[in-house]
Amino acid sequence: MQIDDALLSKLENLSHLHVADDKREEIIAQLSEIVSFVDNLSELDTTGVSDTFSMTDNGTLTREDTPSCNTQVNENIISNSPKSGDNYFIVPKIIE
Amino acid sequence: MFEIVIGLEVHVQLNTNTKLFCSCPTSFNHKQNRNTCPTCLALPGALPVLNKEVLHKSIMFGEAVGATVNRTSYFDRKSYFYPDSPLAYQITQLYTPVVEHGVLELDFEDGTHKTIRINRAHIEADAGKNIHEGDTSKVDLNRAGTPLLEIVSEPDMRSADEAILYLKKLHSIVRYLGISDANMQEGSFRVDVNVSIRPRGDEKLYTRVEIKNINSFRFIQKAIEIEVKRQSEAWEDGVYEDEIVLETRLFDQNKQETRSMRGKEEAADYRYFPEPDLLKAIVTEEMYEKYSKIPELPDAKRDRFVKELGLTEYDANVVTSTLEMANFLEEMIAEGATAVGANKWLTGELPARLNNGMTLETSPINSKLLATLVKRIEDKTISNKAAKDVLDYLFENEVSVDEAIDKLGLKQVSDTGAIEKMVDDIMVANADKVEQYRGGKDKLFGFFVGQTMKASKGSANPQVVNEIVKAKLG
Repeated sequence: MQIDDALLSKLENLSHLHVADDKREEIIAQLSEIVSFVDNLSELDTTGVSDTFSMTDNGTLTREDTPSCNTQVNENIISNSPKSGDNYFIVPKIIE
Repeated sequence: MFEIVIGLEVHVQLNTNTKLFCSCPTSFNHKQNRNTCPTCLALPGALPVLNKEVLHKSIMFGEAVGATVNRTSYFDRKSYFYPDSPLAYQITQLYTPVVEHGVLELDFEDGTHKTIRINRAHIEADAGKNIHEGDTSKVDLNRAGTPLLEIVSEPDMRSADEAILYLKKLHSIVRYLGISDANMQEGSFRVDVNVSIRPRGDEKLYTRVEIKNINSFRFIQKAIEIEVKRQSEAWEDGVYEDEIVLETRLFDQNKQETRSMRGKEEAADYRYFPEPDLLKAIVTEEMYEKYSKIPELPDAKRDRFVKELGLTEYDANVVTSTLEMANFLEEMIAEGATAVGANKWLTGELPARLNNGMTLETSPINSKLLATLVKRIEDKTISNKAAKDVLDYLFENEVSVDEAIDKLGLKQVSDTGAIEKMVDDIMVANADKVEQYRGGKDKLFGFFVGQTMKASKGSANPQVVNEIVKAKLG
């Protein structure tokens, strides 16, 4: 997979991150290295092997539909958020 | 010249007690962010655990639409970045949903039917809510992580009317199953419409446009009509290729137009991949056996009403279109009203009086009250016309049917002696008219009946009055 400047721009857009101009080349090089490392897996011949999404054949655990909620915990979380008020999380304006 | 092609996606909020992947309650009238926890707030290390009841309700739905319930389904991660989802992704089922390949039968007024295919129903988590205020947005995550069942039809509908019939049928099935409140205004039954057009006879599917944000059947109908017009005009003007693109549009009910949400499209790169925090969801035979039991559905109830209660197919269709009405009818019959009489008042006179957003459930007239009213007509205590006045009175006053009849003095007089006396008096007072009638002026018959009814203040049984007047005038 080719990592170029256009792809980096797309990734910046998707991740809401900005990469400074003098860092772009370095980041592109590092990303390419990471991707080509993962590419090593392509050496395996997986013909005839069906897709597997997990290392176990077990199903996911389920729980009973019984409510419980510790409001102490969520109040704690809200009070530790960068900005909050009246029990809301407050974020920069997001409407178009 | 054009054929309309419509597919529908409906997000049904399942009415479980707790969220999809955590034990937070799903009640929404609670204080903002009260029903949240490390899992639905996406704190590091907190992991999702599937709510068994969500599988249960999904299986019930699958069963109701004759679908395949996949014994193994998978969860996938759909990435998107927005403050209403602290995870920065939604857990959904893209590749292998829990329910696939169902059908839904539409019944048209002329008695014909059409089968609409349901492609799939998959489980996914709802997002929170944002309130926009000045330079900031306030985020309430009480709804984040609430279970949704997204039901996706095949593009099988050919008109706005068919789309509405499909939605009403789906709505009624969901309500009969009791798996969702399915309240459109409150957002527990949300509809996205996919619309395209094609020249008649063409089998190919052209560019579809998705319309979001429509919260009533009436607006959905309108939105489809407006979007079809836009596409047809673009085609006729030769600008179809340029103007009709695969995109999401908003329906603006004030401006009566659909509008592009292009900003959203650019950011939409969902990068789906199998959800690593969850293993596959397995439905064992034992679970399937237990969870696939479903109550009587609208079609079955309709057929039973026709067969057992003697309603016409049309009446039965109307009264079974909502669970509330069907239950109301059965309660009235249990109270002793006849099916036909009960149905007439339940689907005619009662709804005609439900104004200002009043519904069958919020109306002061319960099934027992309406049944008693119908019984009083059927045992000839009051006339059909008087019953309408009694019903009006019952809307305003918290009294029993019999109290209302007494209060309004509407008890029907079938006592022939009393009526004969009235007729005699009227004949004496109008001796000239009696002469004219006997001389051949038949039209005057109505005059005597009218005068008698008037004298009885409308309480005389019209049939008895007719007979007596006829006998006395000779």
